[in-house]
Amino acid sequence: MALSSLGQKKIGDIPLQSLVLILAVVVVIPWIMPNNYWIRIAGNAGLWIMLSLGLNVVAGFAGLLDLGYVAFYAIGGYTYALLCSGHWNIHLPFWLVVPICALAASACGWGLGFTSLRVSGDYLAIVTLGFAEIVRLLLLNLDRPINITGGPNGLPDLDFAHIFGFTFRTVTQYYYLVMFFALLVILASYRLKRSRLGRGWEALREDELAADAMGVNTTYMKLLAFGIGASIAGGAGAVFASWQGGVFPNNFGFSQLVTVYCMLILGGVGNIWGVILAAIILSILPEALREYGAFRMIGYGLLLVVLMALRPQGILGEISLRPKRKKKEVEEPETLKAAEELFYGDGSHDFVKPLKKGKLNKDRVLLELKDLTMIFGGLHAVDRLSLKVYEGEILSIIGPNGAGKTTVFNLITGIYPPTSGHIIFDGKEITGLKPHKVVEKGVARTFQTLRLFTNMTVLENAMVAQHCRTKSGLFSILFRLPGFLKEEEEIERVAKENLGLFGARLTGFRYKQKAINLSYANRRRLEIARALATDSRLILLDEPSAGMNPKETEEITRFIRNLRDKYGYTFIIIEHKLNVVRTISDRVIALDYGKKIAEGSYDEVADNEYVVQAYLGRKKGRV
Amino acid sequence: MGKIRDWFSYLSHFVYAEKLESMDQILQQIPQQLINGVTVGGVYALIAIGYTMVYGILFMLNFAHGEVYMIGGFTGWWVLHLLTNSSGGLLLNGFIVIILMILFAMALTGALGMGIERFAYRPLRNAPRMNLLLSALGVTIVLRNLVLNLQGAKIRFFHTSALIPKSIQVFHIGGTVISFMRLLVIGVSIGLMAILTWFVKETKMGKAMRATAQDTEAATFMGIDVNRIILLTFLIGSALGGAAGALVGLLFTQVDYYVGYVAGLKGFTAAVLGGIGSIPGAMVGGFILGIVESLATTLISSTYKDVVSFIILILVLLIRPWGILGEKAPEKV
Amino acid sequence: MKKVLLLGLSVCLIIAFSTINGYAADVSKGLSIGAAGPFTGPAAAPGMEIFNSIKIAVDEKNAAGGIKGVKVKLVMGDDAGDAAQGVNVAEKFCADKTMYGVIGPPMSNVAEATLRMYAQCNLTCITTAASRPDLTEKGYHHFFRVNARDDAHGPAVGHFIAEDLKAKSVYVLNTKDTYSQGYADQVVATLKKLGVKKIWRDTIVASAKDYSSVLTRVKAKNPDVLVVGAKTAPDHAVMVRQMRELGIKAIYFGSEGAKDKKDFIQASEGAAEGAYLNHFAPDIYKIPEAAHYVKVYESKYGSLSGFGPPAYDATNILLNAMEKAAADGDITRKEVMKYMAQTKNYRGILGFPITFDKKGDLLGGATYIFKVVGGDFKLVKVAKGM
Repeated sequence: MALSSLGQKKIGDIPLQSLVLILAVVVVIPWIMPNNYWIRIAGNAGLWIMLSLGLNVVAGFAGLLDLGYVAFYAIGGYTYALLCSGHWNIHLPFWLVVPICALAASACGWGLGFTSLRVSGDYLAIVTLGFAEIVRLLLLNLDRPINITGGPNGLPDLDFAHIFGFTFRTVTQYYYLVMFFALLVILASYRLKRSRLGRGWEALREDELAADAMGVNTTYMKLLAFGIGASIAGGAGAVFASWQGGVFPNNFGFSQLVTVYCMLILGGVGNIWGVILAAIILSILPEALREYGAFRMIGYGLLLVVLMALRPQGILGEISLRPKRKKKEVEEPETLKAAEELFYGDGSHDFVKPLKKGKLNKDRVLLELKDLTMIFGGLHAVDRLSLKVYEGEILSIIGPNGAGKTTVFNLITGIYPPTSGHIIFDGKEITGLKPHKVVEKGVARTFQTLRLFTNMTVLENAMVAQHCRTKSGLFSILFRLPGFLKEEEEIERVAKENLGLFGARLTGFRYKQKAINLSYANRRRLEIARALATDSRLILLDEPSAGMNPKETEEITRFIRNLRDKYGYTFIIIEHKLNVVRTISDRVIALDYGKKIAEGSYDEVADNEYVVQAYLGRKKGRV
Repeated sequence: MGKIRDWFSYLSHFVYAEKLESMDQILQQIPQQLINGVTVGGVYALIAIGYTMVYGILFMLNFAHGEVYMIGGFTGWWVLHLLTNSSGGLLLNGFIVIILMILFAMALTGALGMGIERFAYRPLRNAPRMNLLLSALGVTIVLRNLVLNLQGAKIRFFHTSALIPKSIQVFHIGGTVISFMRLLVIGVSIGLMAILTWFVKETKMGKAMRATAQDTEAATFMGIDVNRIILLTFLIGSALGGAAGALVGLLFTQVDYYVGYVAGLKGFTAAVLGGIGSIPGAMVGGFILGIVESLATTLISSTYKDVVSFIILILVLLIRPWGILGEKAPEKV
Repeated sequence: MKKVLLLGLSVCLIIAFSTINGYAADVSKGLSIGAAGPFTGPAAAPGMEIFNSIKIAVDEKNAAGGIKGVKVKLVMGDDAGDAAQGVNVAEKFCADKTMYGVIGPPMSNVAEATLRMYAQCNLTCITTAASRPDLTEKGYHHFFRVNARDDAHGPAVGHFIAEDLKAKSVYVLNTKDTYSQGYADQVVATLKKLGVKKIWRDTIVASAKDYSSVLTRVKAKNPDVLVVGAKTAPDHAVMVRQMRELGIKAIYFGSEGAKDKKDFIQASEGAAEGAYLNHFAPDIYKIPEAAHYVKVYESKYGSLSGFGPPAYDATNILLNAMEKAAADGDITRKEVMKYMAQTKNYRGILGFPITFDKKGDLLGGATYIFKVVGGDFKLVKVAKGM
């Protein structure tokens, strides 16, 4: 057993007391329920828990609006029906069939997931809904010319679950079987959430573009979310089919979809315990109100509308879905120093980033742009830009608005491929690579308009940055292999080290603060810390001091230079404040209309007539 | 030709184990299927416009639109019911009754649409996508079950034979049959679309709507009351959906509380097909969908007619998500 | 987290305990029957007609003093047409110690899913519409039907079409549900057996309102007879109406659900004239014994289609069996089952005597074939013992 920092005893990652309590409750329920009816309800609740937790992965963690989710439940159920009944006379053992059903559903989930790459948000909702309708129609109609699904009659007379000689028959036995699987799913959800996958999904949900730019392979993560969610539904479908003893098309219809979404919303999207509680409540409530059947659906509908409007975070509301509100926070005046030192405020924290001396090294070209061109429908945003950036250099890019500066950053980081030209990093071609791959190679960036993961904590934001430097997969996460545990420690360490560069501003109690609650300047700092935490060599800063007051600007300016001096980073900075540019740049280039119009030291560039023209306009009479 | 026939033959064997009809028989059916398709397409188009208008301004899919259509149908029925005396005769001239049905349906559903916007969507104006969509889902369920509880599950019939003089009820052109009601539906659909197009292009309000759709923030700077424009959008979109409901009731003589579901799905399939956000796109999408469905009945089978629609939807979204007449919008980073 | 979880569980436990029923074999402890069926959802219309009819029967019985002076309670068990919910309802009914019989489930798939459960708790089920043949082929003794099986009427209809209507080409359409598909299958099989060579089939979507495209296809074939298997009268009304509009000259042959004067004949506004259909009972409006029920139903709930009357009779049959079982002051579920099976020549409102065979099916049912003449149904043939 590991001891958490709070001294609680834990098995794996769940506090021992909670674990014992939950198991005790689960085991005892059949004994205290007055009759089979209530045991059955409890078992049903277990099935709904599985379903809603599965949906929680897709729609909760990853924020993908999958309205076709019930179709995977159907696929699982029907696959079981085909493999464990007299229909085609195949009778596979239960322990083999459940994974098969989960895999079948998962494969379909991956397939459907591909559509999520092309469309998002509302469109994704329709596509998935269309998929569900197609599945339902196929289930209803594929009984001729060959009878696959039994059509409207469904497939009855399915085998009971046989596991190693024991046959599950009674309600109580099935209850335990269902609960066993439900507990597995709960455990898996929990573990997934607290892993690089969970963080990756959250980042994806918060801001897909930023997630890409921080090294999260969003394509893969989307597919994975669909796949995992589908596999849980498929497994649940198999258990359900086995228990009901038959499958019929309207077991998997619109009302089931509505029910599971209500559970998700009521419980708080992404919140595991909330969803479990909501699943329990919403599967028991209809039973108690069975006589008022007609009002049940109205109740669900009103629940959705009212909850969304008034309390979108659900009953336990951990994840805030409220519209973004800025919370102003006061900067402590004493810690405001124009710092020559690297550490902000007092440096009383445990994570110290290892030093690595750096300076401008003209012998090594870290980044080279060759004739880089980007044309947007006729507009030359970047026009044959050629540039070399040396290792350890601080290069500033200046130019009027619309000159193409951010576009250059977008091209380097792979947000879109250039129309023509080459980008070479550390001797290797990176033109057209996907953003997360660019991060892997060693280039990170910040955004002109901040793109933090607002509902994640400061620490989590920084930890996401390590996504591409780690590789724990599904297996090691679910089983908490030593490799995974070590990686988690490492991730936390690197994140804290980089946050620690900003001293008390981003450490200590701030670790657990949500990014949305930070002051503006702290958010800018977090954005930088996050980029640093990717362990990249080249950092692109897009207007790092935008919106900061002069004191803060001075701080950040010297900070950047110190970062290069003490930790060996190379920087390209887009800046409008020319005093900043003058203070720290080794070299400056000026862009206008996508073309490089000047290059050299600050003084050279500042005096260049084209640069002056670009900023201030031409004198009358001049060409 | 022969190869296509072979392919159809194979497909038809899969979907229904009968012999494929000859090419003559297929061709013979096409004019009629086109009429069927254009009629149904006009209705889809009217519903699709509602979706597309709302999406253009709010970037949300108004799930509840299908139910608004359904309520339009019931309103039309109710008007007809009121104006029919106990022996089946009409209290007013047939054409006037039809006009009243449609107008009332439009008025009521327009108001309903505004109510939905005001109370279910406006509070969520700045909320994440998912919230809006789920709220819309909630509204759908409430409306559908409210009607179920208030008027029961029974289907309501439109007794339409008294509306149009028997002599012009049906026309025959060659082997093809067109009923007057069908012509009426097509005519009214196109008429409403024409009025809408004129409104959006020529009037001040229409221009304000277009401006708001393009850039909501800038529109407020230009002095446009965005909230009012949004209400207007919902008013018009829902009214058109309601008209569609009444027209369908007239044409197919039935309405029940469940019609909104499929109509809604078809409606936004059409909207997406034509390019969501584009009103002409919704019209085009509607007609194309209607025609394709009808032809699919002849060429494939009636069983899989609906599957065809959804497959089209998914394919469009995957290959050309901005639809036939839509425009690809690059995202500014 | 822990606290909330505990709270949630306590709530559930409270609900659970509040519904404990005391054990009662004694009649005075209470008597109830359950109604299992789709009272919400897409099939709510026929479902509620069934429920209302059951209620009328129960109310009448209670007004007449109940069973041995004890009023019978009617418990609604809505399954929304979903087998999974039907199973919950079955569990609930089984656990209710005062319950001695269930009317329903009317949908074959729900009946299928709950067959085993009701058998295990010995709860009698009498259904009014579940028509899948294999429901009574599994050897259970608790399941009874007052309706006919899919394989009962199809052959009779097939014979009629081939022999009486002398059709040489037939187009068969059906909706994708158990009843209609079974019906269509049986008709087609019979027609084939009788040597009809030109048969075409297609499926339609129930409640689609627009059948013009499939009818265009039918028109191209120009069949003698168009057979349509659909569960509800409105679908038949639309079908026959659009058929005539397109100028299809075939004879229309509908299925049981079409026997509804208001929703078929009147709704089609004349197009139904000359159409045929089959039914498992004579015209309810022409049966004197049914007059009272019809009056009560229509005054309270509106028009009747074919689903209500069997439910009324089924309820009374069950109540009779319960009364016999309760004669000695004690009642058990097994006794009820026994007396149900002994039902012989029960004369209710359906116009023919009801006896159950060994399997629980309706014995000696006949197929009644009607034709729409002058805006009303006219009985043209009674086909016995198919």
